[in-house]
Amino acid sequence: MNATNRIARLFWIALAAAFAGFVVMVLSGNITWFSTARPLEFLNNMDHQFKAIPQSGNTFFADRASVRTAVEGTVARGQQVYPLGQGDIDKAETANVNPGVPRTDFVLARGQNRFNVFCSACHGYDAHSNPPMVRRQRWLGIPDLTRPQTAALSDARIYHIISAGQNLMPSYADKITPVDRWAIIYYLRTLQGVQGVASNAPASTQQVQ
Amino acid sequence: MFSRRFDMGVKIGGAVLGASVLCVFLVIFFGVRNTVADVGYRPEQPVPFSHKLHAGQLNISCQYCHAGVENSAHSPVPTTQTCMNCHTAVLPESPKLQLVRDSYEKGTPIEWIRIHKVPDYAHFNHSRHIRAQIDCKSCHGPVEEMGVVSQFKPLSMGWCLDCHRNPEANIVGARPISGVFTGQMHKVKDLLDSTYLYKPIPAQVAAASDLKDMVTPSFGQKQSPLPKYHVDGIPHPKKAGIGPENCSACHY
Repeated sequence: MNATNRIARLFWIALAAAFAGFVVMVLSGNITWFSTARPLEFLNNMDHQFKAIPQSGNTFFADRASVRTAVEGTVARGQQVYPLGQGDIDKAETANVNPGVPRTDFVLARGQNRFNVFCSACHGYDAHSNPPMVRRQRWLGIPDLTRPQTAALSDARIYHIISAGQNLMPSYADKITPVDRWAIIYYLRTLQGVQGVASNAPASTQQVQ
Repeated sequence: MFSRRFDMGVKIGGAVLGASVLCVFLVIFFGVRNTVADVGYRPEQPVPFSHKLHAGQLNISCQYCHAGVENSAHSPVPTTQTCMNCHTAVLPESPKLQLVRDSYEKGTPIEWIRIHKVPDYAHFNHSRHIRAQIDCKSCHGPVEEMGVVSQFKPLSMGWCLDCHRNPEANIVGARPISGVFTGQMHKVKDLLDSTYLYKPIPAQVAAASDLKDMVTPSFGQKQSPLPKYHVDGIPHPKKAGIGPENCSACHY
């Protein structure tokens, strides 16, 4: 009988210690064991519904893509397709007209925000094209945007470069809205320290690369 | 009626059984909470993409790849085109990027494994939070330091409410990498004024004296006595009827 009591007492002490440790670990919130397994779900009643979630697999469609590609030739509401190709430099000077985006503090700040997001990866926060990627020798030959040749480019031409790309730079028309592109141009002008011109005569743009 | 031995056996057996049931209940009750079960979920992705390299070391902004997060409820996983913006020129032959190149040529998406997920009956809107200048780090943690991304916060309803009831204590100071702010950030009082949205640009407001450098998080070290309901453009998260204390704000 004594032996049974001793075993029972040991059992309770061990249980209490384990329980106390468990409670402390869980309630302290510091318990983060990393797991590659899917999270445990307890009564996941309606957590996973049979509906199209953006960018998730969906068994309803044959290719399992919940996000459908538009039928060819359709234009989404509000979508503005840039009509010119990368080589249409002459047309760009006349086609790209600032629709009247004001040069206010707010617009400049928006331009800075968009420049820092989309341009700075290659061109740097200061437009000197010396970001970490270039310093690590991963991509060389990116032109300094503050050099005189680039500063001499017209607004329309810079808009064209953002929209259609140039050399290895791809088009950013799908990522930056037209208004944001004009905001970026305003901000880029402050980095270049020049006023900038709205558009150049087609002949003068031919020499600049 | 029963022997002493049998009686003791029943007592001990009952105690052990009860303790076991209690333990199982507690393990299930606490163990499947989001704080325990979801935090730390770190699946292996089909492409060994490192946020530590791209966001942390190369300073590529979050929104460069997750573009559209400020306009859409869903924060998009980047298209393969976004990867190929750079990887046509950078490491074009890397075997780790074979899946990306295949995806780009065939037009089939890369099947990334989703980490952060709220239940399908709860609607979380990213753009709403980005426009209120909530930094990505507040919910996703220091992603730019994660080689393999793991879930950092529980994303449970209680966690949402904790922050919405006391946002000043939970929101992390904005960083340049998130692209939420432009260059510098203001003190707490000024953050509540929408005229400072996207302001300031150093060149524009060099004369202003109330600027703090963005690397020093000031949001969260200071409690504000608000709710101040009438902030132009930004509804205060505590505002009745709009904030998540209204059930239908998220469950619709």
